[in-house]
Formats: sequence, structure tokens, C-alpha cells
Amino acid sequence: MKIFWKLVFSTTIIFSQTGIEIARMFDAKKTPQDMSNVANMILTNSKGKSRVNKMVSRSIDGNKKQIIWFLEPKDDKGVAFLKIEHENKDDEMRMWLPAFNKVRRISSKKKGDSFMGSDLSYEDLSNRDIDDHTYNRIDDEIIDEKSCYVLEVIPNSKVRSSYSKHITWIDKESLMIIKEQSFDRRGALKKKKKFSHSELNGYFVMNSVFVEDVQKNHKTEVSFDELRVDTGISPNLFQEKNLKRLPRN
Amino acid sequence: MSEIKSKYSKHPLRKWFITQSLDFPLRTILISLIATIFLGSGIRFFIIDDDMMKILPKNLDSRISWDVIQEEFGSTEVIFIAFGKQGESIFNPDAFAALWDVEEQLEASNKVEEITSISTATRMDNLDGFMEIDDLQPYRDMRADEVNDVKLYLEKNPTIKKRFVSEDNEYFMITVQPYSSEGLNYFRDEVVSIVDPILSNYEIYYGGQAYVTGTMPAMIRDDVIILARIGIFIMAMVLLLNLRSLPGVAMVIMVIALSLFAMVGSMGWIYHLTGSERFLFTLANTSMPIILLTIANSDGVHVISKFFKELRLKKDKRLAIASTMDSLLIPIFLTSITTIAAFATLTLSPLEPLFGYGVVIGIGIAWAWFLSSLLLPSVINLKHWNHKSSAITKPSIFEKIINRFGKVVLTHPKYVFSAGAFFVLIGLTGLSKVIVDVNMTNFFRPGTEIRDTMDFMDNNMTGTVDIRVRIEGDIKDPKTLSSMRTLQDSMEKDPKVITSFSIANVVEQMHRTVMDDDPQFETVPVERDKVNNLFTMYSMSGDPDDFSSLVDYEYKVGLITAFSKVMTTQEIFAYVNKMTNQVKAVMDPALNIDFTGMIVILRDLVIMVVRSSALSIIFSLIIIGIIASIFFKRILWGILAVIPLSSAVIINFGFMGYFGIELSHITALLSSVIIGVGVDFAIHYISQYRRLSKTIGTNKLSRSVVDDVGYPIILDAGSNMGFGALLFSAFVPIQYIGGLMVFAMVSTSIGTLTVLAALAELLKSRLVKRDESL
Repeated sequence: MKIFWKLVFSTTIIFSQTGIEIARMFDAKKTPQDMSNVANMILTNSKGKSRVNKMVSRSIDGNKKQIIWFLEPKDDKGVAFLKIEHENKDDEMRMWLPAFNKVRRISSKKKGDSFMGSDLSYEDLSNRDIDDHTYNRIDDEIIDEKSCYVLEVIPNSKVRSSYSKHITWIDKESLMIIKEQSFDRRGALKKKKKFSHSELNGYFVMNSVFVEDVQKNHKTEVSFDELRVDTGISPNLFQEKNLKRLPRN
Repeated sequence: MSEIKSKYSKHPLRKWFITQSLDFPLRTILISLIATIFLGSGIRFFIIDDDMMKILPKNLDSRISWDVIQEEFGSTEVIFIAFGKQGESIFNPDAFAALWDVEEQLEASNKVEEITSISTATRMDNLDGFMEIDDLQPYRDMRADEVNDVKLYLEKNPTIKKRFVSEDNEYFMITVQPYSSEGLNYFRDEVVSIVDPILSNYEIYYGGQAYVTGTMPAMIRDDVIILARIGIFIMAMVLLLNLRSLPGVAMVIMVIALSLFAMVGSMGWIYHLTGSERFLFTLANTSMPIILLTIANSDGVHVISKFFKELRLKKDKRLAIASTMDSLLIPIFLTSITTIAAFATLTLSPLEPLFGYGVVIGIGIAWAWFLSSLLLPSVINLKHWNHKSSAITKPSIFEKIINRFGKVVLTHPKYVFSAGAFFVLIGLTGLSKVIVDVNMTNFFRPGTEIRDTMDFMDNNMTGTVDIRVRIEGDIKDPKTLSSMRTLQDSMEKDPKVITSFSIANVVEQMHRTVMDDDPQFETVPVERDKVNNLFTMYSMSGDPDDFSSLVDYEYKVGLITAFSKVMTTQEIFAYVNKMTNQVKAVMDPALNIDFTGMIVILRDLVIMVVRSSALSIIFSLIIIGIIASIFFKRILWGILAVIPLSSAVIINFGFMGYFGIELSHITALLSSVIIGVGVDFAIHYISQYRRLSKTIGTNKLSRSVVDDVGYPIILDAGSNMGFGALLFSAFVPIQYIGGLMVFAMVSTSIGTLTVLAALAELLKSRLVKRDESL
């Protein structure tokens, strides 16, 4: 009988959850302190031509601080990129250009800009601030045998966004996004995204992402290998001087 | 009835034809109409499309390169839009807002692939050590100081400025690229319908190949309708004046209209069944309806005028029809065959639309022969004719003129021949003066809207004739990039080439920006690693599509684009030769270089126009000579048949040289038309000469022939003044064709009645003796 009432109670709670409550649940889920991976990114244009990039990434604070060293293609080897997100000012982005022996700062005014020629913009890679968006819950759906919350996420008018809205499918079990559609400022579908996750050390972590810009017919496929979490990455790593050399581990 | 039947014809085939008209007129009319309606029903598949690229054969090097570039970098046929106000600077917030609105609206169209203008361009700045890539116009409503900042940036980067702003800072330029090079008329209409209302407070100018190509179908359609109306009106008037019979004129017009319908329908059917671009109706085809009009008219005129003459003599309609058709079936068939043969030589032309022209007009001519041989006599048979009408009882003004004319020719054959030869000599001296020019700007008269807008683009903006150099190799290699810049410098040395751009310019700009905006570093870096770093850095904040018109995705193919003002043919040849040599001199031989663009296309078109004209003249004269020799069973007749034609062609091209009328892909078909239409006169003359030589003595033979065929020939030529309708065309080369054809009709008809008559008179002893022996 207890079990029955627990079930009724929890079902009532779930059904009564609003969009913002689901967003808060999503935001509050357990995330690693730091993360390391080797990312393979394949870009494919409308004519079927591809470019392959391989890079080593270290990040802390849920990707708010991230440093990337480029391994492939050969032309990009040695180039490195540092990003530090700030709450109340423009993000810092620096790039190490080994051929020039210079670090150059890159403008971060336009969050809609593409990252590395991919279909992921800086806005896509940044964490969404809950207060900057309105979350409307729409009917739940089952995607790939996973029961999902479906949210309509609308950036508030004061927010500088390149999107008018997103439709986001969140797996109820892992509270990870498994699918998203993003619409441009005119309301037309711009990007279709698909995510897959695996469990690592008690966390759900993303192990691949597929993004298609339906307007440009351009695709980006990223897979994350050598995933490690909570390895104790020092915040000191995220400094300009560390761009110049690849970490040993 | 049996008495009449026995008089139809001795020849079984001619007898069959005459029987169909005399004994089964209703059945013949019905079958003819059903067949015509079926053929004409292809009109629903008929398409007007005047894309200059479709004129060139698909296996031509420059066309192949062009197609490859279209595939790799998108359509290079674009619309240029310039807007502004004369005497006012365009650098003001209102103009920027208007530019933004135009870009937004065009962007929303599914026919637009890409827009290039200030509102879509990016700027690269070095701000306090920041490498910043931002929109040149980030939003619609710019403040005056922001507008001024854009102006300063463009002045610092003149290569970029040339693409977007006029030299006097009074006009903005927008380049609109279509999704596809197909259906450019719809693309053009959509662009104009979007832009015109937004920029109603500004002067607007359109240009570019896509605009011209997109504008042409409507212009061609309107032109053809107007010309056909004027042509039919002129012919009807000439016929009415001479036949003096409304039903007679109506019958000729009926043959013309049905032939025209069948021809246009057949073009639609062939395009529908083959899908071949050769059967699209282009500017070159604009003259086709008028030409068929005159040919169909010629068949009808001969039948009606001969029928009136026979009716006057025989006083019996059926006997008159039988006699008319017995004497005309062979000449009409022969003139149709020779005219078809002359036009068939167009199928040898390397210019694609002329192939379709040759085939389709051949079908039209064959249909006109079919209708004139069966439908027309059947209709004549059904009509009750008043034997006492002046049209039948009295000779017309033309007949009277011919009587006097015949005397002059035949009493002074040597003088007449010498006068003809003198004209030919004058023509010969003018041949070397003929200019070949295929530039479409010259197809429109100054003062017309389309010409003025094209001239504006040429004079105030970058020019609209594109030059493209496709470079296949390692585009990130500094040597490749540097040689691209060297080549661009050479290209821009010509004063008519206003600007050029390539990925090498972007690399220079990025290099300068990274090196703290120091102008000294606006160069291609020497080290490859630096070039790599620049591209990687750009990719961190630039749009991946920013370089899509300059380099392919894998950096294996680069494109240099330059724009030039309109060049003359001589300038085009000199420029292309110079640049071809320059490519060999400055570019690494390991690179695969293709030089193309509209300028090379125009060069190739010129070569093909010359080749097409030469092929057409040589082959049509040979074929007609052979056909005439076979039909008249003597080589001498074959030679005599082509002499007036050769003379007319020489005089025609000589006059083109003297009067500065350019030979283009439109006027290239003149020789075929002159030969194809002009040969009819010679055929009629020779047929009648041979026919009468059997019954009339040599002393009176030529006179009798001129009496007999002179009138229909002059009437035919007179009614062929319908070619004059082409003078009312909106297109300059079509007007030239009209003028020259009027002149050619006069020269070939008079040439037949003078040069051919005089030669026949001079050679009569050989001609008659030999014919008698056959």
C-alpha cells in the first residue's frame, strides 16, 4: 500500500512539474568537477566534403573554463584555444598561434559565431542561464525508448541570442538532453542536434553530438574519447602561458 | 469530270496531290487541320530561355570550366543592384537601413542563394590586441558615427570598397546570387519585385548576366508577338494591293498562321521529347516566326497568283487549280527542299540554338509546303470565284512593272550582268571590314531602360563582365597565394578591369590584422604555418561560409574573380591572350589553371560565330548547288542557281562591313536565311525556263520566262517585305536582320531576274540544246 501511495505521489509531482522546475532539475543535476577528453570532430558540407579535427580538451566548472589543444589536421597542430566565461562581462577567448609566436585575443561579442567552422556556435557551447530563458513544458515524448520531458526554451528579450527558441528533449532518467531543435530569429528551423551519453564514475557524460544546420545543409559530428572526470585539474591550467604546450596527461 | 481528271497531270504523284484537292477537298482540309492542331499542341511545352551559356556547346573548354565553377562555388550568373541618389553621399543612416531591409527581404526568398553587400560583409579589425571579426553593418539602424566608421574602414580597404560602393560614394551595390541558373526570369522578377518597393526613394540600377538573361524571355515574347503582328499586317497589305482579293489574301494568311502554329508546336514537342537545350527559344530565334511567315507566304502567293492567271485564261476553276498545281507542285517542293537544306546547314553550327533553329524552321517550311500543296488548293476549290472580278481579269500593278522590266533586262543582258558584277565587287571590298561583336550590351539601343542600366553599372560600378580564374592545387601554399596576387595585379593593369578578389586578398588582410594592423604586413606570409594559423584563427570566430565563393572546403581549389567594363571584340582577344600568357609566366606549372568567365565565353562565342557563318555559307551553297543540279539534271543549272545567292551573300556582308553592322550569334544566321529564301527565286526561274524551253523558241524564251515568273517573283519579294517587321524589334541585331533581309530580298529577286536571266540568255544555246537532248 505504501508503495502504491509513493507511486501516486511521485506521479502527481512529475505531472505537476512546470517547465522552469524541470530546467532547475536539469541545472541542479550532479556534474563532474573537471573533465578531460580527446574530441574528434568531423565537419561535412552540403557537397559531402569533409574536414576532420582532433583536439585535446580540459575543462572545469561545467565547461566555464576550457582549454583546447589542436592535434589534427596537421595544418592546425600546435594551435591552442582558451575560453573563460564570465557572468557579467564578455567571455575571454585567447588563441595561441605558434607560427607567429603570438597569443591573440578573439572577439566574443557574437555568440552566434561558429566554433572552428562547425555547426556549434559559442552560444551552443555555453551554459544556458536559467534566468535568461522562459521554459514552457509541452507534451512528453518517448525518444529512442527513453521517456523525455519536452521543453520549449525561449530566450528572454534582453538576452543576446541568435535563436528565437529551442525545443529540447530531456531524458527523464539521466536528466541529459538527448535531442534539440533550434530556431533562428525569424522562427525558421536552423539546427537539429542529437546527443548520446554514457555513465562514468556516477555521472552521465556526453560521448557524442551530432548537429545539422538544416539551412546550410552542413553537418558536424563530434565524438569524445578518453573521457575522464574528476581528475583534479588545477584552475591554474587555464592561463595563457599553458596554451603553448600540450599537457602530458 | 473524266475530261478534267485526264488533264490533272501526266505525273502520277502530281495527279494524286491534285486529286486530293479537287475530288476530296473536305477530307483534305480536315486531315490537314487535325495534323496541324496535333503538331501545334506542342506549344504547351514551348520554353523561352536566353541564357548565353546555353549557346555554347557543352564540350567547349571554357563552358566545361564554367560549369565546374558553378558546381564548386555556386552560380556565377548574378544580379547586381546599385542604388543611391546622384549628388548625395550614400553614407547615411537611411541608406544603410534601406540596404538592411533589401537584404532581409531578399534573404527570405527561396530563389536567393546568397547576397553580397555591406550588410552581409564582415570586417576584420585589430582592436587593442583583439582580432575581431564582426559584421560590417551589425544592425539596421546605424548612427551617423557608426556609418562614418564603416566608411573609414572601406577607405582603408579599397578592394572591399570597390565591390560595395561606387567610386563617387553615391551608390551602394548589392550582388544577388540565385540558387540555380535555371529559371532566371522568375529569379529576376522576384528580385525586382522585392527591391523596387523598398528602394522607391532611390535611383535603382540592375545589371549582371542573371538580370539580362532573366529579362530576356519576357522581352523576346513581347517582341515576337509585336513582330508577328506587324509582319502579317505588312504582308496582308502587300498581298491585298496586288492580289486585290480579300479571300485570296485570307487564304495565304491561313497557310502562314497554320505553318507558324505547327512550327512553334514542333519546337515544344522536340524539347519535351528530347530535353535538349538546343530547342529552347532564344533571342536568336526571335527572327524565326517572321522568316517562316515570309517563306509560307511565298508558297501561298505563288499558288494564288498562278491560280488567278490560269482562271483568267481557262475560265474554269477546276481546270485552273489543276493547271496551277501541275506547274507549281514541283517548284514549290523544290524551293521548300532547297530552303530546308540551306537552314539545315545551321545544324553544323557550333552554336547550340542555331541547331534547333535549323531543325525547327525546316519543319515549319515542310509544313508550309504541305499546306500549300494540299490544304490551299482544297480551300480554293471550295470557294466560289467571280470570274469577272478585276483581280482575275486585269493584271496588277506588279505585273505591268514586270512587263517593262523584262524588256530592259533582255535587251541589254551584258550591261545588266556588268552592273550586278560591279555591286558584287563593292561587296567584296567590304568583307574585310565586317566586325564580330557578341556583347549583349550592344543588342539594346542607348536610351532604352535595359541598356542605360547596363551602361550605369559599367561606368559607375565595377563593371559586369566577369573574369574567373580557377586554380587547382594547394591553396594554403604561400607560393600559390602569392602567384594569385601577382596574377590579379596583372589582370587589374587593364584600365577596363576595375577590381579583382581572391582568398589571397583575405590572407593579406588577416595577416595585417594579426600583425597589429600594420599595413606593412598586408602581404601573403612567406611561411606556410603562418597561413595555416591565419585560417585557423579566422575559423574561431568567422562564419565557415565566408570564404565559400573564394576557396573550396578542402582548400584545393581557389577562385580569382575580376570584373571588367564592356570590352570590344579586339580588346577581349588581346586581353585573354595576354592573361593566358601571364598565367604561364607567373603560375606554378604544377597548378591546374582554368581561365574562364564571361570574357572568355565572349571570346569563344566570337570564334564560333565566325565559324558558324562560314560553315553555313559554304555548305548551304554546295547543298543547294547539288540539289539544283540533280533536279534540273545539269551541273550548269546548279551553278547558275547559286550565282545570284553567292552575289547576294557577298553584297550583304560587304554592306555589313561598310555600315558597321556587327556579325553576332544573332546575325550569324543571316547567310542561311538569305540563301534559303533567295534560292526560291532562282528555282522558280529555272523551272519555268526548262518548262517553256520545250514549247517556245530560244529567241522568245527568256522573255517568256520573265513574263511568267517575273510577276510572282517580284510579288513574292514584295510580300517578303514582311522581313521589314524585324526593323521594329527591341533588339538591335534583329533590326539589322530585318534591314539586311529587305535588302537581300531586293538583291536576290532582282539578281535572279537580271544576273540569272542575263546569264541564261548568254548561255541559252548551251542550256536549251542540252535540255532538249535530255
